[in-house]
Amino acid sequence: MPTISLQRDDLEALIAGQDEKPARIPLDQLEQWLMLVKGELKGHNSETGELRIELQDSNRPDLWCCEGIARQIRIKQRGSAISYPFFKKPKGVAGKLVVAQGMDQVRPYVAACTAVGYRVTASGLTQLIQTQEKLADIFGRKRRSVSIGLYRLAPIVFPVSYDLVKPDDVRFTPLGMETMMTLREILMVHPKGVEYGGIVGGHDRLPVLRDAKGQVLSFPPIINSREIGEVQVGDHELFVEVTGTDLSMVALTLNVFAANLADRGAVITPVEIHSPVKTDFGRRWSTPIDFGAPRTIPLKAIESALGEALGGKEVTSALKSYGYTVKSAGQKVAVQLPPYRNDLLHTVDVVEDVAISQGYARFAPVMPSQFTVGGLSRLEQMADRVRHLMVGLEFQEIISNIMGSHQDFCTRMRLDGTEWAKVVEVDNVMSLSYSCLRQWITPSLLQVETNSSRAFYPHRMFEVGEVAIPDASADVGSRTVTMLGAVIAHAGAHFSEIHSCLDLLLYYLDRPFTLEPVDHPSFLDGRAGKIVSNGRVIGLLGEVHPEVLEHWQIGVPAVALELEIDRLLEDV
Amino acid sequence: MDNLHPLESKVLLALTRQPDAPPTLDQLAESTGLEPSQLSMAVEWLLAKSLIAVQAETVAHIASLTPIGELFFEKYTPIERVLSAAREAGQTGKRLTIQDIQAKEALEPSDVSKAVGTLKKEGAILIVQGGCIESTGRNSATAEAMRSLLQELRSGQRELQSFSEPLRSVLQQHAVKRGNAREPFRIDERVTRSFVLTPAGQEVAEQLSRDGVAEEVSQLTPELLKEGAWRTKRFRKYTISLRAPRIAAGKRHPYREFLDLVKLKLVSMGFQEMRGTLVETEFWNMDALFMPQFHPARDIHDVYFVKNPTHARTIAEPYLTQVTQVHEKGTGAGSTGWGYAFDAERAKRLVLRSQGTAVSARTLAAGASVPGKYFSIARCFRYDQVDATHATDFFQVEGIVLGSDINFRTLLGLLNLFAREVAQAKEVKFLPAYFPFTEPSVEMHVRHPKLGWMELGGAGLFRPEVTTPLGVSVPVIAWGLGLDRMAMVALGIHDIRDLFSADLEFIRTMRGSF
Repeated sequence: MPTISLQRDDLEALIAGQDEKPARIPLDQLEQWLMLVKGELKGHNSETGELRIELQDSNRPDLWCCEGIARQIRIKQRGSAISYPFFKKPKGVAGKLVVAQGMDQVRPYVAACTAVGYRVTASGLTQLIQTQEKLADIFGRKRRSVSIGLYRLAPIVFPVSYDLVKPDDVRFTPLGMETMMTLREILMVHPKGVEYGGIVGGHDRLPVLRDAKGQVLSFPPIINSREIGEVQVGDHELFVEVTGTDLSMVALTLNVFAANLADRGAVITPVEIHSPVKTDFGRRWSTPIDFGAPRTIPLKAIESALGEALGGKEVTSALKSYGYTVKSAGQKVAVQLPPYRNDLLHTVDVVEDVAISQGYARFAPVMPSQFTVGGLSRLEQMADRVRHLMVGLEFQEIISNIMGSHQDFCTRMRLDGTEWAKVVEVDNVMSLSYSCLRQWITPSLLQVETNSSRAFYPHRMFEVGEVAIPDASADVGSRTVTMLGAVIAHAGAHFSEIHSCLDLLLYYLDRPFTLEPVDHPSFLDGRAGKIVSNGRVIGLLGEVHPEVLEHWQIGVPAVALELEIDRLLEDV
Repeated sequence: MDNLHPLESKVLLALTRQPDAPPTLDQLAESTGLEPSQLSMAVEWLLAKSLIAVQAETVAHIASLTPIGELFFEKYTPIERVLSAAREAGQTGKRLTIQDIQAKEALEPSDVSKAVGTLKKEGAILIVQGGCIESTGRNSATAEAMRSLLQELRSGQRELQSFSEPLRSVLQQHAVKRGNAREPFRIDERVTRSFVLTPAGQEVAEQLSRDGVAEEVSQLTPELLKEGAWRTKRFRKYTISLRAPRIAAGKRHPYREFLDLVKLKLVSMGFQEMRGTLVETEFWNMDALFMPQFHPARDIHDVYFVKNPTHARTIAEPYLTQVTQVHEKGTGAGSTGWGYAFDAERAKRLVLRSQGTAVSARTLAAGASVPGKYFSIARCFRYDQVDATHATDFFQVEGIVLGSDINFRTLLGLLNLFAREVAQAKEVKFLPAYFPFTEPSVEMHVRHPKLGWMELGGAGLFRPEVTTPLGVSVPVIAWGLGLDRMAMVALGIHDIRDLFSADLEFIRTMRGSF
């Protein structure tokens, strides 16, 4: 989740609020307060005053900015929610924003407002841009569901229209370019067009925001106009819009921006949205909009989840000082989230906010008291028995990665084109060295042998680990099998050496077996066998083929054993 | 004298027999009948014990053939070949350049230029216009000297001094020196030492000749035991302060030992082991955990997708329906749900298990006991670049606790228990945390004796949107421990990839302190 960068002074000023003088906040105090926002201080540069904070909660985009962190701390200190007048009955609107017919097929929703009276500072602008990027990138899924535009208000003449146009019909100069370009050209040439074009590409008509004079504000969600859409330090009249595919996410994002700008001293004036189709908000509504609804929760639900009889008074004050609007009535509380939040899915979300508001230290740990019996699975018990026997047979245990390459698991083992070369492969390969799951252990051990020619001989090693064997009859297309692999390598390594180990191992496990010759390309012909027990093949062993040793650049003979431990659990 | 090795005794006795003419190593070899290696071992031991001393040391220079010399003997020296090429050209009247010789004779350029230089100096050839070589018909003393040296030394090495002065100087010129290994001869220094007994050695030797050496033995044998002959023998004493020879043990991998210990502790706290599969459906890996299908952690860049088959055939009912409903509308769980259209095909998509919690979800659906405690040590896969802190696959220690007494405070109590039992930590801090499937969520930090404050794990109460669709009606703790850092400290390593090292020597010598 996002890590953001902010200025300590800026944070301190925002925590103090518009009317108070900021005070220096010691870093350990700040770290305490960051618990309120699930934030962790990742870095501090004492020269520049930069703080780096990681925010964990992916459902709280309002906290991914300096203003949001400060707001949550400030609310805790004052003990009650901050009231933003523009969410109540607005006195008037700055203008209209008219949505075109057919927009529901492309990028249906828009929200906007104006912010006047906050003169943008350099650090304030950095924060605005960072918030815009983090919200569009993470919350808005790389602008797919939400993107944000900031503009200078002065040149804009209302009503603004959210139009659909043909890609060649509209031209404007986008940010980062010197010349006018059509939308089609932007999609093909502009870096942002190339990066985000896929979101609206494929539509005959593309969205643009234009004002009453026909000036283009932006081509959402791609790029703003260079003339109107480049906010600079010193600007004090802004227009903010959010477009996207999810009505509540679009509204919430604008609410966060409105609250942030208000916290910096701007006066927010709503914009009236005119929709050609009926939405959850109707056909006409103003944004920012408080679309949350109160929720009534039994006090007992909170208390039993927390394991502490807090009482209505403490619950109410905990939630108020976390930003909620709360009405307590007997054994119930009616709660409503502040308008810049929309993450109340279940009572448990309120429960956690109570706990965070009060501090986790408020809750004394209690040991769970109910009796349970511990134990290992039968498979793990068998695997452990095998491991202990192998140690007694003087093998060194190895642990290898399960993910590896086709080259190692099949090609080097001379298995290509045979039934033994079936492996679980990965679709989105990051590197060829890690492109599939091992289907047997021997290659993992030969890998060790390759790296260990300088370790004194003999080499006796084993691994008990999981492998994935493709199996069309299995639910997930493969079986996960716990396998024993063992390799002996030294100048005189010989079939009978590993055969004796197998013989003794299966003697102690009380598992009669026979060996049947097998024609397996990884082993020398006539020196490899299937291990058959109770009529089923449970493994194989043999002298590793010299060509395999050459592939692995191993200079001594090696013998290998492979045994399915899962099969040892079956009744004889 | 008790701890004289039989070899040492032999050498001492041999020296007493030649008090007037201090013998060399060769002479000693003859008189003792010992192998050169045994003899030099015994001599070094005796010198170290100051029982013998070096009486005189002479240095001789020994000349011998190198493999190049052998080759020159067979195929003629470059100088001979250049000369004969020049003569041949003289007879046929052909023009001959240095490059021609090089190409024709397949000689190294440096060998050719050296040979030409020598021959020109001796007047055996001339260099005329155009860099052509002509024979003067005169013989080359060097060529002849080298031929005779090659013949002499082919039958065996000889002392440099035994050669006449002109031969000696040719030999020295063509001997292997630093920076030029392509020479036919080599000259080695051989140090010849002669030895005498020291007064202490004299004493020991006298005692030896009185007592005899025969009864000292080094190894007790079955025969000695059977016949009782050990009673008349003396056993040589060993220098037991020497380092023991190295052997390799059969043993568990230290990281596995660590995990075994964790396993033991969890079982002793009443946890039952659960197991899962390496390949999972997105359904059990994420959907069942109430992670919405649009969740950022479900991106193509976070999870490995399986190539073939891409999808499971079915997802077990009623879980598919119930999970679908809870995602869409929160149905049954008292939730609003995520409010999007759940894609059942997406749920079947096969992935490499990315979190151990998938195993917990399966266990809940399979009918976990109430009360119940479960754990798994599951191999998981994350789409990360492999580096010192990220392995391609790694173990996650995770689990669940079900019970009617489970709440936020018992969650903290359980974490306290883990801190004490697994990390031996007395101090614990609980921080608010975020996991998509728990609420409230906690991060546990403990004060580790070596590492200071560190994150030991994360936990929380499963959201009812997770438990209800899986048919579980009691509260459930989901917990996970991040033990790799602790394991690395216990094993003294700094790179997570070393937990899965493919270096046998490293694994043999690695040991844990836990």
